[in-house]
Amino acid sequence: MTTLTRQDLNFGQVVADILCEFLEVAIHLILYVREVYPSGIFQKRKKYSVPVQMSCHPELNQYIQDTLHCVKPLIEKNDAEKVVVVIMDKEHHPVERFVFEISQPTLLSISSDTLLSHVEQLLRAFILKISVCDAVLNSNPPGCSFTVLVHTRDAATRNMEKVQVIKDFPWIVADEQEVHMQEPRLIPLKTMTSDIVKMQLYVEERAHKT
Amino acid sequence: EASNEQSEPDLSSASGKKVILLPCKNPPSRERVQLWLEARKQYKSLQNGR
Repeated sequence: MTTLTRQDLNFGQVVADILCEFLEVAIHLILYVREVYPSGIFQKRKKYSVPVQMSCHPELNQYIQDTLHCVKPLIEKNDAEKVVVVIMDKEHHPVERFVFEISQPTLLSISSDTLLSHVEQLLRAFILKISVCDAVLNSNPPGCSFTVLVHTRDAATRNMEKVQVIKDFPWIVADEQEVHMQEPRLIPLKTMTSDIVKMQLYVEERAHKT
Repeated sequence: EASNEQSEPDLSSASGKKVILLPCKNPPSRERVQLWLEARKQYKSLQNGR
């Protein structure tokens, strides 16, 4: 067992790569399971040794990639507290929030031989939980859309500035309407604890969706 | 527990207020994606008919 700081081996970057790859798969799957887009645009792929549904719509795929490219520098610096996939009704009020709460240790105690396979196993469980979450959620009203929120610190937003310009993908501070949800029901889906990251996923569901 | 304060991440600096950000651009609408899907189906059926 070795103890490393975040600077050693550029571990922040490794964690950000792993998490962003996972979040990309998770976002595609959420959009499929919650029927935000027609099922015809999704194709079955294999990720983390399990079948998942991934969009083949170029514009949507690019949007998700650009979003995560901008979030990655925050995760790298341990400045992303939560990444939230919000599903909104026609009036742009949230009906569901898939909250990925991320916590990274300052000191990393790793055993490298088992590290990656262990993390992959843990992430697989998240994917499997998302794929069956429709069983515990109520149906969404027709015409829903989505957005991604990131909870960070004001001072950390400068880490995003460069990539926002490169990608021509600006970010803004969320309005109350985009964040506030009336009487949410909280449904815990999965928690993981590994050497490099702790993460929990829960859904906040609006009590009255229609 | 989802809202457990002890599980809050150790942000690299204690200074700076918390903010919630979102992309300025919207993702493609469901209607736009549906149109793309129908056009792709038509294109594929035309290709198969050749």
